[in-house]
Amino acid sequence: MSNTEMLGDKKIGSLHPITQIVREIYGTFRDLGFEIADGPELEDEFHNFDALNVPHDHPARDMQDTFWIKKDANESKQHVLRTHTSSVQIRYLEAHKPPVRIIVPGKVYRNEATDATHEAQFHQIEALYVDKNVSLAHLKGVLELMFRKIFGDDVEIRFRPSFFPFVEPGVEVDMRWKGRWLEMGGAGLVHPEVFKAVKLDPNEWQGFAFGFGIDRLVMLKFGIDDIRSLYNGDLRLINQF
Amino acid sequence: MKVSHKWLQTYFDAKIPDADTLADLFAMHSFEVEGVEDIKNTDGSADSVLDIKVLPDRAHYALSHKGIADEISFLTDMLPKKRYVEALSANADHCPIVKLENDKFCRRYIARCIEINSKAGLPPVAVPKAGLPAVALAKAGSNNFSAYLKSALESIGQRSINPIVDITNYVMYDIGQPLHAFDADKVKGPITVRSAKEGEKIVLLDGREIILTSDDNVIADEDGPLVIAGAKGGKRAEVSESTKRIIIESANFDPTAVRRTSTKYDIRSDSSKRFENEITPELAIHGMNNACALIKERYPNAVFGPIVDEYQHKSKDVIVDFDPAYVKERLGIEVPADTIKNILMKMNMGVVAKGNIWSLTIPHERLDLRIREDIVEEIGRVYGYEKIAGKLPAKATTDPITELNFSVSERLKNILTGIGFSEVSLYSLVEKGDIETLKPLAKDKAFIRKNLTEGILSCVHKNVLNADLLGLDSIKIFEIGRVFTHNQENVVLSLGSAQVKKMKGVNGGVIIENAIKEIFARLNIGLSVPKIISQNQSYACEIDLSEILSLVRSVSNTGSKSSSVTSTSAIDLEFKALSDKRYTKYSQYPFIVRDIAVFVPESIDSNGVWNTIEGAIKSADASDLLVRHLLFDTFKKEGKVSYAFRMVFQSMDRTLTDDEVSKVMNAINVSIKKEGWEVR
Repeated sequence: MSNTEMLGDKKIGSLHPITQIVREIYGTFRDLGFEIADGPELEDEFHNFDALNVPHDHPARDMQDTFWIKKDANESKQHVLRTHTSSVQIRYLEAHKPPVRIIVPGKVYRNEATDATHEAQFHQIEALYVDKNVSLAHLKGVLELMFRKIFGDDVEIRFRPSFFPFVEPGVEVDMRWKGRWLEMGGAGLVHPEVFKAVKLDPNEWQGFAFGFGIDRLVMLKFGIDDIRSLYNGDLRLINQF
Repeated sequence: MKVSHKWLQTYFDAKIPDADTLADLFAMHSFEVEGVEDIKNTDGSADSVLDIKVLPDRAHYALSHKGIADEISFLTDMLPKKRYVEALSANADHCPIVKLENDKFCRRYIARCIEINSKAGLPPVAVPKAGLPAVALAKAGSNNFSAYLKSALESIGQRSINPIVDITNYVMYDIGQPLHAFDADKVKGPITVRSAKEGEKIVLLDGREIILTSDDNVIADEDGPLVIAGAKGGKRAEVSESTKRIIIESANFDPTAVRRTSTKYDIRSDSSKRFENEITPELAIHGMNNACALIKERYPNAVFGPIVDEYQHKSKDVIVDFDPAYVKERLGIEVPADTIKNILMKMNMGVVAKGNIWSLTIPHERLDLRIREDIVEEIGRVYGYEKIAGKLPAKATTDPITELNFSVSERLKNILTGIGFSEVSLYSLVEKGDIETLKPLAKDKAFIRKNLTEGILSCVHKNVLNADLLGLDSIKIFEIGRVFTHNQENVVLSLGSAQVKKMKGVNGGVIIENAIKEIFARLNIGLSVPKIISQNQSYACEIDLSEILSLVRSVSNTGSKSSSVTSTSAIDLEFKALSDKRYTKYSQYPFIVRDIAVFVPESIDSNGVWNTIEGAIKSADASDLLVRHLLFDTFKKEGKVSYAFRMVFQSMDRTLTDDEVSKVMNAINVSIKKEGWEVR
């Protein structure tokens, strides 16, 4: 508070911290030849679940608390608020021939009680890379690059086994930052069933995908301790950035 | 799932690693461990309980102590002991009649009649002798069978109910096969596995009455349903203290049907959980045999009838053809062939090489291993993902194209922040709208928003209240987000503003109008300013991004080179480097604003005045409370200058009182007078 501020008018506005992180990630991936893609937030069951190898009446559906939408009488399709940006993998592959390199930033929804680290709405960034020869080593390579750009050159990443129906193998990605291992999100190699759902031959194409919570990246990067403070529109937070 | 370390130890002769070591091992190679708790069992012995998060892919085999013990053997060189016992031979004739009406739903049904004791009431406690799994029990340091079972069940958070139910539960947590015990004297006629009749009733063990529909499946006798198959037992044939004869059921049910029913009636049980995740029908016989061995242990005089085993479609061996070269292709690292083979054999797979291809016989319980990708995962996780070195993919052959939607959004963000607007991101779940969610988190969050302006208006208003704290004359915000109407989802830009400091001819509406004109000019498009709405001096409007997009696109199609946004080439978007700023928490307490105007000789500048004020605040020990100060007015008159400062006081940990701030102001006044200046 040492310098006297002259006029109470903000000359340059602030970008929301989520935008700032999205732009950083976008920059990294643009250099690797990735494009931006997007899809609807109000998604049908097929794109959000079925095509991603999450069948009806399967325990994997319990892994995400879903907002189901009240159906109109004349509607046949069941809709949800997308629980992940992974639905855009399907939408993109339906419309584009591989090879494919996309990243998908976007809002997603989970029907769960909110607290400092859980919100009913949050942001994810998805990546999908489809080509003839894709391995977990490639996945690790791009993740290292992405995390190092945001958090510094000394971060390490590691994989732990996990399960997401649309990848196999499926891994949980941890980042070691400031001496601690932090859980960052899910990733893996695209499951053959996903390729089949979009009528691609899994013997011809391979891929990796990941989906991370942007909010978590934002909170770590900028030291924000409550996810809810990202969505209350309070300039006391936003104007700091 | 809770797993007892002591219970796991019964699978091995050699000492297994301690619970924390196991937790680390599992975390890196198998599953997430949500916690390790040191407990004291009811028999007084110490134990550690691991809380393991078994995800659906491994739930086929790992929702049991045996599954976890097997997992230990995959990750170490330790071999688990055999757990499955041979069938006890029958020494009586009585045998239940079983009818399967739907062998698609019920894949296998094993039943056996047991007379637990010829005398009335429960017999005295038996002392365990050699024999499996009682051997394990004795080794675990218990010489009392029932006490051991009780203690084992309680270690994983289960209640002991009665000896028979405890045994069936123990077998489920031990090897993963759910069992059911009926009081045989309460079962009338044959046991039928069938679809429920519409409207048929059953009273569950917990007293709840369920009215069934025809898509449910039940185990029934002549009088009606006894059990909701796979999910929950009924009251009618419940085993009690006075039960003399029992029927033990060890069955296998269709996962989807069990899940549908248990979800419908909200009767998720440890049994339904295992069926829902699917287990192999091959396990059922082991469930029956192990349970019988334990019953024999508990009731040495028990009399066993023959085993009834309805198993029409026997599980076939599953073979996966696997090329070990595929491991390198997918993991991106070389794993020696011997290592691969060793891992597969530890997992009890039969490995037969046919040229370059290995033919793998998958153990029955491993329903998760069906395709070569599944095998790669097993190799990767056991060998260790940490051995994979990151490698960037080959360069793309074409330059990426940035989606126009994104590039226009980001352009708009740059333009708007450039003229002082800050970006907000507000809630999509609101009180009113066209689209409603089925199970809302709260009444006022049941709908998805159909516009952004309502949120933006109240957001402007909230920020106006903090304008002094923020040091702002006007509030200027925007959001780019989705709105939802009956048939459409649109991306919308909304602007919101309020002029806080009174200024002639300026209000939030004027600010917004100017901003929109600026946007149109910068994007080189012509569009009329949308309707601006207002509420309590806050103004807002919204524009459908698709309108802007179509104009931008048409400009682009005419080949005009004047506007950089017309090109969708990614390179055009200029972003600032990511800030390294750390967030400073703001105070949750109210703030107090005080203004002061000071007349000074022309030779004194504003900094000089402020230094004096600041010094006074410091001497009043109030530097921590001053969160912001502004010079908001200056004018000259008769060789003197007036500087007007606005100061905002706030505490991080309490509500400031007027008195406190007045004391600071007094100190300032005194200092100013000491300088010979005048407070106006």
